[in-house]
Amino acid sequence: MMRGNAVMHGKTRTRSLRRPALLVALTLVWATMATFTPAATAETPPRVGIACTTGVGGGATSPIFNLTTKTGYISLPDGNTAFMWGYSSGFGAFQHPGPVLCVNAGDTVTVILHNTLPEAASIVFPGQANVLANGTPAQPQPTGAGAITSLTNTAAAGGGTITYSFLAANPGTFLYESGTNPEKQVRMGLFGALIVRPSAVPTGGAAGSTAGEYAYNRADSRFNPSEEFMVLLSEIDPYQHQAVEGGKAFNMNNYHPRYWLINGRGFPDSIADNGASWLPSQPYGALAQVGEFDRAAATADQPGMARYLNVGTEDYPFHPHGNNGLVVGRDGRPLEGTGGEDLSFEKFAINIGPGQTWDVIFKWYDAEGYDPVTNPVPVTVPQMANQEIGVFYSGSPYLGTKETLPPGIQSVNQCGEYYIISHNHALFQITSWGTNMTGPITYMRIDPPTPNNCG
Amino acid sequence: MILKQPFSRRELLKFAGGAVAVVGTVTWAGNVLLPEAAVAAPGDPDLYLAGTDGWIFLPKTPAIPPFHPDVLAPDPFTTYIFGFRNVTGLSDIQRSNQKNKAQHSAPLFWANQFDPAHPADFKVQLTNLGLALRPDLFDAHTLHWHGFRNVIPFFDGEPTGSVAVPTGRIFTYVYRPREPGTYMFHCHVEDVEHVHMGMTGLVFVRPLQDGNTSLYPSGKYMYNDGNGSTGFDREFAMFLSEVWAESHWADAHIQLPEWSDYRADFSLLNGRVYPDTIAPNAPIVAGQSIHALAVETDANGDLVAPAGHPELQYQPHSSLVNCNAGEKVALRFANLGFREQAMTLAGIRMRVVGRDATPMRGRDGTDTSYETETINIGPGESFDVVFTAPAHSGSGYDTYMLYNRNYLRANNLAPGGFGGQATEIRVYAPGGVAPQAYPNDWGV
Repeated sequence: MMRGNAVMHGKTRTRSLRRPALLVALTLVWATMATFTPAATAETPPRVGIACTTGVGGGATSPIFNLTTKTGYISLPDGNTAFMWGYSSGFGAFQHPGPVLCVNAGDTVTVILHNTLPEAASIVFPGQANVLANGTPAQPQPTGAGAITSLTNTAAAGGGTITYSFLAANPGTFLYESGTNPEKQVRMGLFGALIVRPSAVPTGGAAGSTAGEYAYNRADSRFNPSEEFMVLLSEIDPYQHQAVEGGKAFNMNNYHPRYWLINGRGFPDSIADNGASWLPSQPYGALAQVGEFDRAAATADQPGMARYLNVGTEDYPFHPHGNNGLVVGRDGRPLEGTGGEDLSFEKFAINIGPGQTWDVIFKWYDAEGYDPVTNPVPVTVPQMANQEIGVFYSGSPYLGTKETLPPGIQSVNQCGEYYIISHNHALFQITSWGTNMTGPITYMRIDPPTPNNCG
Repeated sequence: MILKQPFSRRELLKFAGGAVAVVGTVTWAGNVLLPEAAVAAPGDPDLYLAGTDGWIFLPKTPAIPPFHPDVLAPDPFTTYIFGFRNVTGLSDIQRSNQKNKAQHSAPLFWANQFDPAHPADFKVQLTNLGLALRPDLFDAHTLHWHGFRNVIPFFDGEPTGSVAVPTGRIFTYVYRPREPGTYMFHCHVEDVEHVHMGMTGLVFVRPLQDGNTSLYPSGKYMYNDGNGSTGFDREFAMFLSEVWAESHWADAHIQLPEWSDYRADFSLLNGRVYPDTIAPNAPIVAGQSIHALAVETDANGDLVAPAGHPELQYQPHSSLVNCNAGEKVALRFANLGFREQAMTLAGIRMRVVGRDATPMRGRDGTDTSYETETINIGPGESFDVVFTAPAHSGSGYDTYMLYNRNYLRANNLAPGGFGGQATEIRVYAPGGVAPQAYPNDWGV
């Protein structure tokens, strides 16, 4: 169907042990092509956790990604929708945010941007050095009158293409986003996450471990790849989006966000599965489903990993309840001294600035080992009529125990699992233009030990 | 489903409802919804808190019509709040009298690090006295100890994942604090509203190393540092919060604010704005301040106001730092405002020894503490700093200002002059102020 171009299917490059990686096969095309093929295959993404999009073509260390700018709508927690711009995976339907690009350190990464928007667009890759645009060093685009129109070379409006390439030298979490009128285009949704995994097990790494179990080239950055999550934080001023949709100018002096999102969704959509059918253009959930960390098997059990990214305009103070995350990296660099000293630190408030990424290892266990028979909570549990029951409560203080709730009380608890909240602690930002307790909220869901009945 | 317990009487409801299949057999065990007896008999709580509404004072001028001062506020107050009160030791009648008498910031409390050699639970009982000005509301309350590691949802106070305390009921939270440092606490019900309305305060955990005078003469430390680097002679809680006048007015007047319009009209330090921050503490009963500042109460159980400041009756915590030259002074910062703060100590270097109840150490022991004049502290963050009081010069005391370098939050909206999140650090000649009897004690 293509003029002499091979159609190659993507292969997963993640080390996800228990979940199939999102397998979006990208058709290998060249920037000069006039017509596109649809994605060749698309497997069901993992229900929770990072849904990687992997590149194709060029050999094992030369992934190629096609991204297409498209317009569409997303659903917001108050029932509203917002008109958005987005990077689609391959030539697929509009999605928000852009696909999570997963590569390995040392890969030469090619990203071909196809621009369907009515104005020039681009991609910048903060944290990557020596980015090429169509084979020459990417450069800011001057107006000729002392200003610039773009931080990098662009794909022309209405069908232009451009090919970026770079060596992904360092493991870590990175943003990619538009460099063209970014105060407009990034706010409209032209952004996504780039995850670079180590290419080899670090020196001193555990025997039998694989490179994808490490955040960085440090043995102490190991985590459980089946408990790896993205926390991509953003915001929306609906009047800006309305203006863009109507082709009208928007005065950035009037910029005032009314919605704040996590992985492109607001709570409660944020805890729906990846690829939830009722959120067709918002594929990424944020529920952190984990098992209780097994302290007795610390060498076998590994903590989870949360990759935080902020594409907003101010610091977002994200607060995971019940655990201090260990911040092992920021902006795609491990927290270490020049002599390899460990400079990681624990935080219960992940105060992440605009454009920053933080890599946070976390775990949860019941420190007291409460058990209804052998170690009950040292307090009389009030009768249910004397408590207000939360919608995620099992009816019991104990992990894995589920009790019947009073008549009329609804609970979505499945099997006595725990739900421990994580949320932005600038609390006016966990609202959606008048609807409180929405926005960037998600939960750490702790399943009872297996075998369980959680499904 | 894993049922760790023998089949309980509550499972009967599943049969009654017919909707859920249940494995096991059971005999009728009486009425459902009875309390479950605990194996261990609950003793008296270490602390008893009550949630309710009330009024505080903020400078009346300049006004923010129609929101500030609130026309409904009883003299001398200005601003409607939700808040906590320490009702430990009050009689039932005295406790019920405290409806509509909340304070801000919430009662400062602290616990000792859990000692496996001498295990003791730290129990905080919470009751909900209701909202006197809003009888139409039936909001529950909870106690969320912000930053407590590995807590089970039952004791986390996050209401969707567990339970909350309706009006007139009680609940007891049990903690075994295993990590020393500075934390904060707040009600987590409708927390956009309840946190901003004032149900917020500071809590800290003393390390097991306390009492060891070989590392630092006072035997008082912020962390189990092993080398005395977090030792101090005096300690002061510096709790940061904010008031958006419109939202407080809205709650009093049965309105709903649009939260995305949020602004910090007033920035508070321990519940007050400068210069009220340097007004005295309310009278504290030192002997009863075992786990919390015990403010003196009258026959009705109501708070006794700070000397000379009847308008600060429900803002009992002073922020004035008195110290002697050469002493080490610990400041415990926690921010439950909705904005980042930039707390600057002009003229004295602060050493950051902890953040978020974590000592500044890498996993390999690398010292990551640092000196600074300004700490940028986000919502929900805590910082532990130690400074050494400089040599005393001049007569009386030397004054250093501690203030929010974001000057929008170091004023009271008035033209000129300091306000908001600001206080004074007064350095006396050695021996000038007496040892502290409790945190934030002036020592005079």
